[in-house]
Amino acid sequence: MASNVYSAPALTFELIAKCSTTRARASILTLPHGPVQLPVFMPVATQASLKGITPEQLEDTGCRLCLNNTYHLGLKPGQEVLDAVGGAHKLQGWNHNLLTDSGGFQMVSLLKLATITEEGVRFLSPHDGSPMLLTPEHSIDLQNTIGSDIMMQLDDVLVTTSPDKARMREAMERSVRWLDRCIAAHKNPDRQNLFCIIQGGLDLDMRRECCREMLARDTPGIAIGGLSGGEAKADYCRVVETCTALLPDLKPRYVMGIGYPEDLIVSVALGADMFDCVWPTRTARFGNAITKRGVLNIRNSKYATDFGPIEPGCGCMCCREGEDGMGITRAYIHHNASKETVAAHLLTIHNVWYQLQLMREIRQSIVEDRFPAYIREFFAGLYEDKTQYPEWAVDALKMVGVDLTI
Amino acid sequence: MSDSNLDNTPNMSNRKIFELIGSAAVDSSAARLGKLSLPGKKVIDTPNFFAVTSRGAVPHLTPDNLTRHTSVNGLYMALEDFIEKKEPPVYQTPGSETSRRLHKFTALPSENISILGPRRSPAVTTPYGNTPKAMTVFTCTGFRSVTVPEYASAVQLLQPDIVLPMAELPHTSTTPSSKKLIRMAERTEVWLDEFLMRLSSSKAPEALGSSVFAPVLPVEYPIQWDYLRHLSEDVLDKIEGLAVYGTNLLPELVNYPPLTPLPKLSMDPPKTPHEVLRQISLGIDICTVGFANSTSDAGVAMTFSFPPPSVDGVQPLGINMWSPEHNVAVVPLVEGCPCYTCTKHHQAYLHHLLNAKEMLGWNLLQIHNHHVIDQFFAGIRETLAKGGQAAFEEAARKFTAAYEPVLPEGTGARPRARGYHFKSEASADRINKPAWVDLDKEASAQIASLAPEPDSRDEVVAVVDVEAAAAALSIS
Repeated sequence: MASNVYSAPALTFELIAKCSTTRARASILTLPHGPVQLPVFMPVATQASLKGITPEQLEDTGCRLCLNNTYHLGLKPGQEVLDAVGGAHKLQGWNHNLLTDSGGFQMVSLLKLATITEEGVRFLSPHDGSPMLLTPEHSIDLQNTIGSDIMMQLDDVLVTTSPDKARMREAMERSVRWLDRCIAAHKNPDRQNLFCIIQGGLDLDMRRECCREMLARDTPGIAIGGLSGGEAKADYCRVVETCTALLPDLKPRYVMGIGYPEDLIVSVALGADMFDCVWPTRTARFGNAITKRGVLNIRNSKYATDFGPIEPGCGCMCCREGEDGMGITRAYIHHNASKETVAAHLLTIHNVWYQLQLMREIRQSIVEDRFPAYIREFFAGLYEDKTQYPEWAVDALKMVGVDLTI
Repeated sequence: MSDSNLDNTPNMSNRKIFELIGSAAVDSSAARLGKLSLPGKKVIDTPNFFAVTSRGAVPHLTPDNLTRHTSVNGLYMALEDFIEKKEPPVYQTPGSETSRRLHKFTALPSENISILGPRRSPAVTTPYGNTPKAMTVFTCTGFRSVTVPEYASAVQLLQPDIVLPMAELPHTSTTPSSKKLIRMAERTEVWLDEFLMRLSSSKAPEALGSSVFAPVLPVEYPIQWDYLRHLSEDVLDKIEGLAVYGTNLLPELVNYPPLTPLPKLSMDPPKTPHEVLRQISLGIDICTVGFANSTSDAGVAMTFSFPPPSVDGVQPLGINMWSPEHNVAVVPLVEGCPCYTCTKHHQAYLHHLLNAKEMLGWNLLQIHNHHVIDQFFAGIRETLAKGGQAAFEEAARKFTAAYEPVLPEGTGARPRARGYHFKSEASADRINKPAWVDLDKEASAQIASLAPEPDSRDEVVAVVDVEAAAAALSIS
């Protein structure tokens, strides 16, 4: 087998190029529902629908891998229905890849009085308030029913900023034990991939230890979890940098919950391949458009008579003019933002396209080995001058050999 | 056609936009076949329908979905949906000799027909009526008035393909006094004349003019006979169609043969396919089908077809997709339906989307329901073409017998209603359900009482997100 290809029963990972300066990589991840070009941003279709747009419109943005949330699908439509329908791909008419989380994060983030024991996450049913227990076995069973191409292990999630070191260690160690239970419970390893999740908070030694433990279990992909929970960006970058240094070249690396364009580009430089976040689609519903010049709130009255596209030069269905585009103007979005659902749908299409296009451009620059120059262009587009560049990003990029200040 | 000819006919009535087909043409008060050919547009076979927009958009449908997945030809838009600001942005849309501002602003493909009227269909009742000089309208920020000169200049700027002049319509009362009724006819005539005068005095290029569809009022014949005479004798050369606000009056139009060849657009919104059939049998050529939007919002998929299938028993006009019986049904909304929704998705997904309050549910229902209506009209045309009026009337009678009189009601929540959709009234029930409740006050006690005693060695992780938890609670 070629030295740049890794094969597991339900995926192949082919490393195409590595940046000669940073740790950035370009690769092709082939999953049961087709190939995905990495690095990739995965939009979140929480309840088996990407907020208001059709699977066809999502496909048109170039998306080939999106998320569903196990917790939400477990509630609605529920496991029985998913089973009867034949899984989440069939439910939502999506013939490309799906990734599902374990449900553990929502248990603790959305629910009052969730408690975590060695057995699993104990919580109250939002249906009738009856006590329920989510175990690693339940989570995998549900994800097996969903049929996602990538499943995530149930982990013991703790806010990274928690000061309780003992609790943090327990969560990390428990996550390792739960991975073993998830692997044992997994019924379809030939057609569904199970990724581990590295925990350990902001403690770099604990992260390293967790990496070693998780790698020993040889899952086809690796996630770095517990981040994006309010920690300082500099701390976030140190954790990602520490983990990627220990991870094998030939496996996909997924950093959970990341979606701001600056975070994406820095995380790619630090060696990560996959990202997801609800922010681009959520912010679209608040009337915000993501552009190379930053986020524009189209509800601002200055856009009422702005008859330009959402972003000049953008290739999305909304911004393109003529036969194959809609020729949407900022004025029209302004006219209907927070009034007609159509405005939200249009900005959702634009923002998803923006995120995916950003990753495509990043990938192309890695393939052509000009990623550091692309990073410079990117920050120059966002800020008037270098003194405004965020310190955390400048510092993080220095760690991997790109000095934005010169 | 010479230039001098054009000069003599400033409102381009030398061009003929409507052509009647077949022997039915002579009788204006019966179902008829026709062709509507507006410059630069696809020819529309009639009877047909126009979709109804809200703020320039067919609710829930982005322009690409409208083009790709529906065969909607024309969209009705209301000026009041665009003029809440002091200097309405829509007027400042860059125009050109080939593109119409209203199209450009709303991203409507140029092959679609835009129809502009002053008010939404159906319109929200205003707190006070019109004045001799102005019409009261309801924008998303409140009530204001629009004068005839304002409306005429709006039309000249926006250049809709079809324009409906201002009409004095019944205000709050469904049975206005006869004095008021007479005033309605008189005022509409004055407004129409002033509107036509202002349009014809404009220097707008001929190529992008708007076809005027003059209002026919929802009042009895004896009250508007003179107004109708005015239409048929005095201003006939300036109008290219009729906008019929009261379809009951249609039989009386036989008294005005010059009006017979004009295309008749119904602005008397039908609520059911039965009402559509009735309007067509009275001679309506194009219906505005706002009931497609409300049916989709209700979570109902239309299932009727014309001519009706020969089955026993009375059939429902639609399926309530909220109903739990659809939750595992991996079948199209309507078996064999070729629309995008039915070919790519299934009942189980639609049910899930509604149940999960995902906006895509209404989006997919709009695609399906507009397709059903499109096919319904195609069936009407085919029946008329094959068997004429007799066959149509026979099929319409069978349709009435075959289907329930009204569409089923959706049993779940509709999309959030906005301020411009309705007029709030004192002590009325809340239109939108509150999205959240105060968890700490109302629900925490309830939850706490259900909580098990935590195991002593367990650590309690309690991260509270009130909105999400409350949303979850509202299920219970």
